[in-house]
Parts: sequence; structure tokens; C-alpha cells
Amino acid sequence: MNTLELRDVVVRIPAEDERPARTILEVPRLSLGERRIGVLGANGSGKSTLLRLLNGLQEPSSGTVTVNGRDTRREGRAVRADVGFVFTDPLSQLVMPTGREDLELSLRRTVHRRDRRAHAEEILDRFGLLHLADQSVYELSGGERQLMALASVLAVEPRVLVLDEPSTLLDLRNRELLRRTLAGLPQQIVLATHDLELVLDLERVLVVEDARVVFDGGAADAVAHYRRLCLAERA
Amino acid sequence: MSRARYPLGDYVPGASWLHRAPLGAKFLGVVLLGLGTFWLRSWVASVAVLALMVLLFATARLGARRLLHLLAGPAPLLAAVLVFQWWQLGPAPAVSIVANVYACIVAASLLTLTAPVPALLDGVVSAARPLRRLGVDPERLALVIAITLRSIPYIIGTFSSVRDAARARGLERNPRARAMPVLISSVAYAQRTGDALAARGLGDHGPDAEREGR
Repeated sequence: MNTLELRDVVVRIPAEDERPARTILEVPRLSLGERRIGVLGANGSGKSTLLRLLNGLQEPSSGTVTVNGRDTRREGRAVRADVGFVFTDPLSQLVMPTGREDLELSLRRTVHRRDRRAHAEEILDRFGLLHLADQSVYELSGGERQLMALASVLAVEPRVLVLDEPSTLLDLRNRELLRRTLAGLPQQIVLATHDLELVLDLERVLVVEDARVVFDGGAADAVAHYRRLCLAERA
Repeated sequence: MSRARYPLGDYVPGASWLHRAPLGAKFLGVVLLGLGTFWLRSWVASVAVLALMVLLFATARLGARRLLHLLAGPAPLLAAVLVFQWWQLGPAPAVSIVANVYACIVAASLLTLTAPVPALLDGVVSAARPLRRLGVDPERLALVIAITLRSIPYIIGTFSSVRDAARARGLERNPRARAMPVLISSVAYAQRTGDALAARGLGDHGPDAEREGR
């Protein structure tokens, strides 16, 4: 199993004009080794920042983030090869006009060009997407797009999969499809979500509030903690 | 979503003569036509070249509706150019400039609609390989071209969405209300695309990546 470690991590937005500097995440020590990990938190709490740290999309202002001992700042390329990242909006992820082309783009670094097409088709078939291979990504349904984005990321065979609110734009049927697909993946998964049902499948769940991890434990307890936080805010 | 359907970067599977033509020849044709338009001085010649491009489009069986959509996308912008150039230079140069731009758009689409993006990327990588001695990374250059192609339809679509939004609020005559959202949306799109590429480790090719897979 992989180990993702954060030590004395602080992410700050520097002061600008009249706006003072702001800390958007502070994690003194965190080690993530479980297969299925969730992150709960309100919008703007810092959970996306926490996720982006894990594959080097975000560098810490201070402290270190390592994936299997590799520093995300110094060995970003190697870390990104190990840690795939799925965005909330799959249209941000799919940079080519069709799914097939996007998958082939993912495979450029690792697969010889004469084998890329067949390899891409094999992956699409595994996800039940082969019949949509040549359709414009804009013409796919929300669920199909999210699965296509997932397939594009998994094409490079990462060891860890980080997903930032992957079910936010999906209807109930597509959420269920995504949940089943994720459950069947061999990769270690770290996902941020507002979907409390999705969280209940996970081994370990962190709750992030006001730029800090305020709870770290089992799924049911984390959901209860998160509910209390949200209700306390309302009161 | 309107930006989805602007057809410049979307490959259309087919078996026409243009689909079968070598990628290098098609690319050379687009480059020569693009450069050639600088030398076209007569509006008749410009319109004739545009007509030739439309004829090629038809023989490649890419569809009349797709062609109309291709021409309609930049029409508001080119209408403004036409009016401005007419006022500045007169009718003949104005028609010539607009016809030249349209000819280039149709020519570029003949390339992108008849060659899948991976083939275009491979073609650019092969063509740019000699430039490696000058410090150019062919893979990165190909990626830049592919992303640029992908961005044009998005930005044209954003123009149209922003125009609709401005109209809905009665701000259709306010240039700031129409220009700023396009600018902000385009920068945000560029950032998201950069993140998406970085997240997949694309664009940061080192020497070992050059060896891999090619």
C-alpha cells in the first residue's frame, strides 16, 4: 500500500494590496495509508487544497508532502505518474475533442504510437465506454463524461487515485454508477465529497473545517461530526 | 452548449480523398494558403480562393451544415472587421480581408476535420524533431498546437454564451459586459487545462519521457 505523508504543511495565499495574507490549509502531521479515504468539508474549508497537495498540483508554502517517500515539490513528475487526479468537472479534465483522443493523449508518455489506439480501446471497453469513443466529449451525459475522465486518468495506471468531488455534478443514477466503478478499482483512493452516502463506503474519513483537519476516524463518526458542525453553524 | 459544436477541432471519420491524403501534404497546403493570402491583393482572387476551399470541403464530404456552422461562428467578429475595414480602406480591401480569413479558417478545418488529433500530434512531433537541436521540445510543441486547436472552439462558444447573457440583462450594447467575461473565462479555461495536463504529467517531458513510447 502507498503512504501519503504531510508534515508541518501550511498553504498560504500571500498578502496582496489591501488584502492580508491568509492561511488556507494547515496540517501539522498526517499519514494516509488506507485503501479508501474520504475528505468531508464545507465549500472553502480547504479540502480541495489538501487533495491538490497530494499530486503536487499545489505546493505547500512550508512543510513537506511525500508520496511513498517522494517529495511532491522536488519530484513532482514522478509523483504525478503515481497519483492520478480527477477533477469535479470532467470537461476540465478531458482536453481532447473525443474520449478516444483523450485516452491516446494520456498514453503518449508510456505506450508506443502503433499500440496506442488498441490500448485506448481496451481501456474504454473495460469501462463500457467503447461505443462512445468517437463521440464529442460535450455530447456525453454527465455520468459518461465523468467515467471517461476517470478512464483517461487510469490509463496511465496510477497507484493512487485522488478525486475532487467527483459526484457533485451527477444525478442519482450516475452517482451509483460512479460509486460501483470506484469500489471495483484496485488503486488507493482519496476523495473529497459532499455525498455522505459515498463516504459511508470508506475506511477512513477526515473532516476539514476552517483550513484544519478537525476530525479523523471512521466514516459513520465522521459523518456525524460533519453534520454537527454544519448544524452548529446554522444555529 | 454552443461551444461544443463549433466544428474546427473535431475530427470527422471518413474515407474521402482528403481523409486519405498524407498529413504532411495537408499541413503544407494550409501553411501555403495562410502565407499566400498575404499576397492576395484583389477581392476577386480572395473570393475565388474561398470558393475553392468551399469546393474542397464539399468534395471531402464533410457536410454543408458543418460548413455553415464553421462560417457562422466567427461571423459577428468578422462582420465588425468588415465594417471597420470598409470605413478605413474601402469595400474591396474589406471584402478581401474577410474572404482571406474565412479561406484560412476553412483550410484549417480541412486539416483538423480529416485528421484525428493523435495523428496531428504525431505529425507535429515528427516534423519538429530536427528543431530539438535548437532546444525545442517536439512533444511540448505538439501539445501546444493541439491545445490551441481545442481552445478556439471554446473561446468562440464563450463569445456566444456571454453575448446571450449580456442580452438577457439588457447589456448587449455594453462592450465591457461582453469583453470582460470572455477574458476571465478564457484565462480560467487556460488554468483548468494547465491543471488537467499537469495532473496527468503531460507537458513536463524530460529526457526519459522523450525516449519512452516513441
